[in-house]
Amino acid sequence: MFNLSCKRKWLLSAMFLIISITLFGCTNGSGNGSETEDNKDMVTFAWPRDIGDMNPHAYNPSQLFAQSMVYEPLVSYGENGELKPHLAESWDISEDGKEYVFHLREGVKFTDGTEFNAAVVKKNFDTIQDNMDLNGWLGFLSKIDQTEAVDTNTFKLTLTEPYYPTIQELAVVRPVRFLGEAGFPKDGDTSKGVEKAVGTGPWILDEHKTDEYAVFKRNENYWGDVPNAEKIKVKVIPDAETRLLAFEKGDLDLLYGEGIISIDAFNQLKASGSYETSVSEPIATRQLVMNTNKKQLSDERVRQALHYGFNKEAMVEGVTAGLEEKADYILPTNLPYTSAIDATEIEYNVNKAEQLLDEAGWKIPKGETVRQKDGKPLKIELMYDSAESVQKTMAETLQSEWAQIGVQLDIVGVELTTQVERFKANDFDLNFFSNYGAPYDPHTFVNIVATEGFGFNEAISAYPNKQELLDKITKVTQTTDEKERQQLYTEILGSLQEQGAIVPISYIKKIAVYQNGIADFTFPANRDEHPFTGIRKEQ
Amino acid sequence: MVTFIIKRIITIVPIYLIAILITFGMIHLSPVDPAEAYFTAAHVQATDQLLEQKRQELGLDQPFLLQYIDTVLNISQFDFGTSYVTNKPVWDEIATRMPATIQLALCSLLIAIIVSVPLGFLAGIKRNGVMDHASRFLSFIGASIPSFWLGYLLIFFFSVKLDLFPVEGTGTWKHLVLPSITLAFPLIALYTRLLRTSVMENLQETYVLFARTRGIREYSIMGKHVLRIAISPMITGLGMNLGHLLTGTIIVEAVFSWPGLGRFFIDAIFNRDVPVIQAYVLLAAGAFLLGNLIVDLIQLYIDPRISRKGRQLP
Repeated sequence: MFNLSCKRKWLLSAMFLIISITLFGCTNGSGNGSETEDNKDMVTFAWPRDIGDMNPHAYNPSQLFAQSMVYEPLVSYGENGELKPHLAESWDISEDGKEYVFHLREGVKFTDGTEFNAAVVKKNFDTIQDNMDLNGWLGFLSKIDQTEAVDTNTFKLTLTEPYYPTIQELAVVRPVRFLGEAGFPKDGDTSKGVEKAVGTGPWILDEHKTDEYAVFKRNENYWGDVPNAEKIKVKVIPDAETRLLAFEKGDLDLLYGEGIISIDAFNQLKASGSYETSVSEPIATRQLVMNTNKKQLSDERVRQALHYGFNKEAMVEGVTAGLEEKADYILPTNLPYTSAIDATEIEYNVNKAEQLLDEAGWKIPKGETVRQKDGKPLKIELMYDSAESVQKTMAETLQSEWAQIGVQLDIVGVELTTQVERFKANDFDLNFFSNYGAPYDPHTFVNIVATEGFGFNEAISAYPNKQELLDKITKVTQTTDEKERQQLYTEILGSLQEQGAIVPISYIKKIAVYQNGIADFTFPANRDEHPFTGIRKEQ
Repeated sequence: MVTFIIKRIITIVPIYLIAILITFGMIHLSPVDPAEAYFTAAHVQATDQLLEQKRQELGLDQPFLLQYIDTVLNISQFDFGTSYVTNKPVWDEIATRMPATIQLALCSLLIAIIVSVPLGFLAGIKRNGVMDHASRFLSFIGASIPSFWLGYLLIFFFSVKLDLFPVEGTGTWKHLVLPSITLAFPLIALYTRLLRTSVMENLQETYVLFARTRGIREYSIMGKHVLRIAISPMITGLGMNLGHLLTGTIIVEAVFSWPGLGRFFIDAIFNRDVPVIQAYVLLAAGAFLLGNLIVDLIQLYIDPRISRKGRQLP
């Protein structure tokens, strides 16, 4: 009997423990104000993942928009690729294009009250350069010969060779943004983390609960225009449907980003008339890359025939319901040097497509539906990212469109990592790609086209002028002559497109949906920047 | 009984070693090169030299057995390596996310028990009664509804339309209600049926007849004897599901933005973050072993025949 009651006590206490842990967990944090507090001047929006470490020199999983709220660049990227002074008030570039002297803005203070000056700029550059295995991808960083704090407000950057995109690359969100002295760890190496998130930006990280939310408050001492909204709250909601439901309930003021909710959901919200919706300018081009190393695609006429052979406008409209726009050029024309790409716009023309295929020797034998040449059928494989519904639907559309002109398209959905690996290994016929957008292009795009082992360089092997193109790409970033540079871009991009290995499909855009009380929302010109500059919540 | 418990715990050790071996072997056999995965996760274009360096650093150039022993030694000190993505110790990352997952798992388990025990028991006693029909209906729904959809439905009705509970997040007990119910729903369906069948089987046993002829009151027979024995398969099921709940709340965590382990693991898979994947699989193995141990102990308490093998129930 004693034994039994002892056991019972044991079981009871175990159950009590379990229940109390659960309930303790339930109530734990319920005193946390910001979750329940209804701040009238706080704009709440949802993001799929946690903001990550607020380290201006760190990559994944730190989120670009959050880094851009707290840390600022020397140069900012404006509408239509205009490069504007930011923390640098002005700059001089030497005749030979190797020396850059930046005159820093005076009176700028970090959020801890310390001065922004050339010494701290130099310190940031030092740690960035100490981690070149991480940062080497950014072109100008690998060309730095030396950096120097000339005086309090003058910073000098010397390159080993002229490289015109330097100013443009200074506008990227990471890693060339500036951390205050107090943020550096003892050894000055930020690659392992920062002590404090001290920046010069318009926002200060006020509260952060990993995987749950982050609250930014405005920097009242900001050197530029102080933001209108008092606080920005980022709720981490990984699921698109949940984001939508939270927005409809009114928990969120704003939905913003690329693919942040489904196309259907966006159009449904738009049609409801209860919310404001807007779509950004093109941020990148969705491209179809043809591997000219493959026998059937080595003939330019076949590539052109494929381009003529599908109704691009109808496909883009049908698949993206107006969220993307039919693209005529391989880069959006709102990027620097891209407004004058010298290439023919190709209109849907089935007869022309058939004629080109006939000319190339691919004919339909009697009783067959697929064209043949030397006894081999015209079979092509298109690889797409299986997680991206737009790619999948476009692939299916192309499959049925091209079947009409006697081309058999096999479509294969793969994981993103596999897609990248196969592109790099030149193991594909057709592949989807999209360029990086502002502020990386056009120079990053032409650069990856030239880089061996990325995928493009090998894919355009059948271009008779490939070597000439590669030489021009090397030259375009080195020339200091603005006119020559424009000329080179026009030729490079024109020739790449004209020979049909890179087919522009659509211009990708960002979306925003917001509650009626939100005013002055604008999309950032820089793809990676936050959109909160002027945002306001009307009472 | 103490010896039984000790014996039971000792048997866990070799099973866990085998679990580590299998996990380790599978990662070894997979086409992913951890060194390459490391650089991809860090967004670094790796040169052959860098790759070679990393392989040495990770000990990938050592013989398989040596690597295995190393891994076991590290794991015994809760050292699961460093995440390729966040550059922080995997155990720290797991430890910060674990409480949220455990909380959700226990809460849903509690709901499942509170609902399914009376429901299954009453359904079993009165076959084809109202309770039986209700339990059958619930079971059909629970077994066939996917949890993510149920989650959206609950959010839509109880949060968006009725504004009773928050859509997502954590903080108060209200946040816990919808995700717990979503997780508990399929369990309720399962356990109700299990208990119902088990109760019905036990009612046919001679001991019930014997007890009735002895004139023992009906509720006493049911409560003290039938339920106590009939509940055994359900407890086994609970133990198995404890492992599932601690590791398999991925979808529900995503739907309700619950800051637990599941989301962290999903990201790890996409980033090929090998140390995290390994740690997660081992954690899952640990959770299942622990679940089974707890089940055995509870069974031992409820049905002492297990330790006194061969003896009949008094």
